Amino acid sequence: MALTIADADTRVVVDRDTHTIVLTRMFAAPREQVFEAWTRPEHVMCWWDPAGYPLAECEIDLRPGGAFRFVNRHSPATHQFAGVYCEIAAPYYLVFEAMGAIGRVILEQVEGKTHLTVRIECGSAAKLEQYLKMGIDAGTAKTLGNLVAYVSAMQQ
Amino acid sequence: MSELMAPFDLSQPTISKHLKVLEDAGFIEQGRDAQRRPRKLVAIALKDVADWLEPFRRQWEGRFENLDHHLANMSKKEKQHGANNRRRRHQSRG
Repeated sequence: MALTIADADTRVVVDRDTHTIVLTRMFAAPREQVFEAWTRPEHVMCWWDPAGYPLAECEIDLRPGGAFRFVNRHSPATHQFAGVYCEIAAPYYLVFEAMGAIGRVILEQVEGKTHLTVRIECGSAAKLEQYLKMGIDAGTAKTLGNLVAYVSAMQQ
Repeated sequence: MSELMAPFDLSQPTISKHLKVLEDAGFIEQGRDAQRRPRKLVAIALKDVADWLEPFRRQWEGRFENLDHHLANMSKKEKQHGANNRRRRHQSRG
């Protein structure tokens, strides 16, 4: 069963069968620009932290096998997102591996706007939990722990 | 069961299997009646799943809102930059 929360700009679908989280959203910008915003540190710096602060550190080595590291200003110990790029096809496709999951960023042009899809392929229920928890406060994370118990129970 | 099967092109064993999964997960409850086994949708269980996902969705929504604003700034700067370049070219010609 896939679960969709539809009434918002950002859509999230969780496919439990493939342990994949799919996020989608439209952006009023050409896809070259959106691709640049995802792949150049001076841009990622400005938007990655959901709280709206510039990142404390942002390193991008944009080539297959190249590493990236995004560190939030306020709790760098816990709010770090780091990985390695696998595939880069500007301006429409970006694949990276981070924290044991594969992330795919897919950009489609729709009448001058850009439809963004981020697929996070977690590979297992446990990894799915880890991703859903990431950057979310402890109280919520505890609740998410229940989700995995729940999801595992559903799979048996 | 026959009411539940009607809208779907699925066999009874398949429907039973799906119902069992939903029941185990607490999404539906089985009632008892002399001849029938009416199923009831448990709304709270569905809401719980939405609650678990919501903080994650909110986090990405925040991130994407930032990206939205940043893209608008990028366009503005590009336009400005383009205008400056045109001005410079114009000046160098003059």
